[in-house]
Order: sequence, then C-alpha cells, then structure tokens
Amino acid sequence: MGNGSKLVDLIRVLVINNAAPFIRGGAEEFADELVRRLNKTRGVEAELLRIPFRWDPAECIIEQILLNRNLQLYGVDRVIALKFPAYLIPHPSKILWLLHQFRQAYDLYDSGMSHLCDYESGKKITQLVRRADELCFKDCRALYTNSPITQARLRKYNGFESTVLYPPLINAEHFRGGDYGEYIFAGGRVGPGKRQHLLVEAMHYLESSTKLIVAGPLDDEAYGHRLRELAKKSNNADNIELRFGFHERHEIAKLVNGSLGCAYVPIDEDSLGYVTMEAFSAGKAVVTTSDAGGVLELVVDSETGFVTDPNPPMIAQTFDRLAGERKMAVKMGRAASALLDSKALSWEHAITRLLSDP
Amino acid sequence: MKIIIVSSFVPFVHGGGRFIVEWLEQKLLEYGHQVERFYLPFVDRPLDVFDQILAYRLLDLTSSADRLIAIRPPAHVIAHPNKVIWFIHHIRSLYDLWDSPYRFVPDNPAGRAVRSTMVELDTKALREAKRVFTNSQVVAYRLKRYNGIAANPLYPPILNPERFRNDGYGDEIVMICRVELHKRQWLLVEAMRHVKTAVKLRLCGTSMDSTHRESIQSSICDYKLNAKIIFEDRWISEEEKIEKIASCLAVAYIPQDEDSYGYCSLEAAHAMKAVLTTEDSGGVLELVNDRVNGLVVAPDPIALADAMDRLFLDRISTANMGNANKRRLSDLRIDWETVVSSLTL
Repeated sequence: MGNGSKLVDLIRVLVINNAAPFIRGGAEEFADELVRRLNKTRGVEAELLRIPFRWDPAECIIEQILLNRNLQLYGVDRVIALKFPAYLIPHPSKILWLLHQFRQAYDLYDSGMSHLCDYESGKKITQLVRRADELCFKDCRALYTNSPITQARLRKYNGFESTVLYPPLINAEHFRGGDYGEYIFAGGRVGPGKRQHLLVEAMHYLESSTKLIVAGPLDDEAYGHRLRELAKKSNNADNIELRFGFHERHEIAKLVNGSLGCAYVPIDEDSLGYVTMEAFSAGKAVVTTSDAGGVLELVVDSETGFVTDPNPPMIAQTFDRLAGERKMAVKMGRAASALLDSKALSWEHAITRLLSDP
Repeated sequence: MKIIIVSSFVPFVHGGGRFIVEWLEQKLLEYGHQVERFYLPFVDRPLDVFDQILAYRLLDLTSSADRLIAIRPPAHVIAHPNKVIWFIHHIRSLYDLWDSPYRFVPDNPAGRAVRSTMVELDTKALREAKRVFTNSQVVAYRLKRYNGIAANPLYPPILNPERFRNDGYGDEIVMICRVELHKRQWLLVEAMRHVKTAVKLRLCGTSMDSTHRESIQSSICDYKLNAKIIFEDRWISEEEKIEKIASCLAVAYIPQDEDSYGYCSLEAAHAMKAVLTTEDSGGVLELVNDRVNGLVVAPDPIALADAMDRLFLDRISTANMGNANKRRLSDLRIDWETVVSSLTL
C-alpha cells in the first residue's frame, strides 16, 4: 500500500470464487491470476474471496445458497464473481464471469448425469438453484461467459443473454515456443473425459519414430492403470512416456515449447481449453477430434492443426504427417499463434472489459 | 495434520487481524501441517449481524480437515468436531463497549435482546470448542466475565523476530504504528513541549484520517518542535523499521486501553529496547512492568516528558530495561513453538 492520499482514487475489486478445502485446480489458478493481473492494473486494488462449497449430500446445497446470500460486503467497489454459489453474495456492482454454471442442476441433471438425479428432492433442488441464479443474474451489472457453450446454456436454461469473454492464458510468458522436437505432447488433466487412451492407442499404428509424452494429474487411478496397460501392449511401447502427477507450470511449458506439436482430444469440452491455448501460444499445431467441442473454435483442420475422427488409426496418421512434413508442422504452428493473437485473448483486453461496465 | 484456519475480514483492510492469521498459517506449514486458510467477510452492523453469523454457521467444514482453528469472530461459530478457538476479541460494542458511543443498538428492550442473544450465541459456540485461547489476559477476563468461559492467553508472536537487532542507543524515542487518535501520537507531541533534555521523538506511520494526520503536523509546527520531532507520515518498509528500532533510545507505545500488547511492543523487546507506555494502555501492561522492562507513567504530557528525559539521561537503566524486555518474552513464552504446540495439541 502506498501513502494514504492515493487510496481515494483506487477502485477496489473483489474476485469471488468457490473453494474445496485442500484442492487446487485450473479454476483456482485462474482466479489467482485474475487477481494478480487486476493488481497490476493502474488504479486497481484487488483481492480474492474464497467461499468453501459443499454440494453433497444434495440438501446442503440449500444451506449453501442461504449462506452466500446472507454474507455482506463492505468497502468493495466492484465484484467479479466466477462460480455458483459464491456469486450469490449480494453486491450492487457485481459482474459475473461465468466459468460454468452449477451443471448438476442444469444440463447434467437433464442428461441424468447429476448426483441430484439420485435424490427424491433433486428436482426441487434444481428448481431452487435455477431460481437463486436468476435472482442473482437479474441484478448483475454485466454477464460474461467463458465460451459459446456456457453462453448457450445460460440462454437456454435461464433466458439470460451474455457476452463471451474467453479466459486468457495463465503464465503466457512461459509459452514462447522453441525447437520442433521428436515428440507429440499431450498435457492437461488425465482422465476418461480427456481421452488420452485414444492417443496411446494411436501410437500402436504409428509408422514414424515419433514419441508421445503424456503429462498431467490423474483424475482417477483406474484410468492411469488402463493407460499403462495400453502402452505396454503397443507396437511402439518404447516411444510412449506417461508422466502422471502434478507438474510445475514451467515444466509443462518446457514440454510444450520443445514439441513437434500437441494433442488434445477431450470429449465435448466447454471452452477453448487451456491445453490448446498453451500450444498455440508456443506456436505448435494441435491434433484434436471432431467431437472435441470448444477446442474446434481454435483448431481448424490443416490450418492450425488436424481435426480427425476420434479413432486411433486416423490420429496416428496425423502424427505421422507432422513428423514427415516438418515444414507443415512449423507453418501450422505459426498460423496457430497468429490465430490466438487475433482472438484478442489477452488479460489486458479481459480486464478492460470487466472494469468498463457501468 | 490437515488444518483449516478461518477468520473474518473486511476486504482491503490490512492490519493486525490478518497478521495473526497469515503468520500462523506460515508457521503451521513450517511445522509440517497441511493448511487451508479462509477469510470470510463480516460487517459489524446491527441490522444483519445475525444473518451474517448464520452464514458462518452454515459453513460445512466438518469432514474437510482434522482440525479447525477459528480466529476473528464470528469464525468461532463454525461447527467442527475438533475446533480450537484463538479468540482475539468479542463484538465489543455488545460487550464491554456497551456503555460507550460505539454501541450500535439502542439501550432498549430490542437492543438488549440483541445483546443477550449475542452473548448466548457466543457462549454456545465457545463451549463447542475443544480448547479456547485468547490473545491477551484482558480478553481472557472478558470471556470469564461475560461468557463464564475459562481460557488462557496464548500470546501472538511476530513473524521472524530474529530480524530485529540492537545497534546501540541514539537520542530518538520512536513510535511506529498507525497514526490514530486512540494511539495518541498527539500526546507524545504535547509531551515534547516539556522535555528538558535533547531527547528526540520520531513518529512513523499514517492513517486514512487525513485531518488527524494534518493536525499532528501542524501542532509540531505551532510548537516550533520541528527540530525535535520527526513525523514520517507514511508506511515505512520493514527494513526501515528494523533500522529505526535498532538505533533508537527506546520505543514508545501509548494506545488508549488496547486489547493486546501490540506488535510494536514485541518488536522493541526483540531489539532489546525499553518500552515507554501509560497506565491506561490496557494490554501493553501485560508485557511492560514499570522500571523493569520499560516505564509506565500517567497519560499526561508532563509525566511523559519526565519519563522521556529519564530514558535519555540514565542510559544504563535504559539499556538494562531493554535487555530485560527480551527476557520478558521468554518468561511469557511469546514464541511460535508455544503457539503451534498449543493449537495443534
């Protein structure tokens, strides 16, 4: 803090997020980065408020809604709220930057994949969540969503229009690119939804001697085991490296920067995916699948990477092409980097938007 | 052990209430515990004080950690099977400050109901805890008096006290803290009109209240004391603070009826400097004994001026009291070892 007289001109921005005690993931890193970036902005002082959230058993959701609606803020000029139910804390100058809704009460409930489906009171609780959301959304100064998919859900379920504001890359300065090495890198969380098994299986069909490096925290042990077994049976077992667990950002960046290209094949991802953005920032083409959701907003087939069917032999072909036509890998990587720049996904842009609304 | 620390805060207000939380967090981590810290907002306002407390009560952390350490109220109302409370103050306007301008509800049946509900609620929440510690004897007395709860003081240390050093004894008495009416820097300025020796005064710190800061500045000018009083109206850095304390004659800390001894008294003790304080300073008197590790005098300009002259003239006693001040820390067991073992027992 500087001397007292400066305090008058500062706008004090409180970022509000949920928290699960002792667990950190992408959303936590994103919130921390947002606060850091806000604090670097002239005339802004920012702080993070984290509210512990428990959603199981279902009845406690009711208490959590009440909890957040009962809290009071004082001395805060603007709130940027990211998640349910922490965004229910009242404030007259609240901006929502929705990473996703409480999907268990929305699309996951409709598709039978929510834990609320197992409760007799589940239906009532989804209605309560939707009602609390709508009361909150109506009073927000502005609604931003992290992707067209989140935007569409908000429109479909709650009838609210929002503006897409893509979350910028965290630690973009690490992802500056480098040589085009002899491996394909697959970063991000490792789990069934991210389908790294497609990549490991693809290695079986590979003709070139390109390596595959998978590095990231495991969602569940069983999936890790499955990947290890698949790798063992592969024709190219020696060229598959599985590095499960948490890696520091600079380690991930090093792997991205030195790769021939990256691969990211999640099923129906909500957003662009940080893995894609990191690869693009480092000037690397990305191999993905036609059912990868938001990733397809960035990856254009044969321009900024390859889009194939979610089928291992076809994925293998794209790896071989990258290895065989290195000039093409470099060219697509450059195009990827240019596309990312053109999307105005910078923190400066995002923060200007978040602070510009009345 | 997996430990969750919860405390209340007012966003963007930094100060003692956060130091105790963040320093404890750091030390628990150093001692090998897993720690998660939460600050929740709380506004001390009559209309919705209970609504906010309800929000705290609804937090469900019961299965998230082996232990919950609750610090600033109303964090103590959070339920946990293994709750330890380090109680640093009541919502004082409903307790000891009831008969003062700080009371935020009228003294009528409705207001008194708010007060008695608060007392009942606090007592219930405190009884749930495995252990209750306070940050001072004063707060422990209040817990006994109002809630019938026996608690021992667990004195909060400062972070990395070994940074504070002693470079000898100059001519300056220093007071380094927020500049506020109740911290009474103004009283030291008044006292300086009456000193007979070449003793000097250095005030470092600032406040949100610019009128008060300016009035101190203009008193110094009006009394033509510019040569004897240095007022640095800003937050000085930790390094500067260490420097100023290392070379000062003694440290002054004369707040009006403070709850605890104040971190600046501890800084003085670690630097082996005597503390000048007043008979009505409250918690400071738990640390400072007159003519043992400092001077305790009446809160009036003449008495303070006389004490300042004594510190200046009798340098051997001043140095002895400074040495005794460091020993006082170990007598009272003001160290992190004690804090961490008490809170994780």
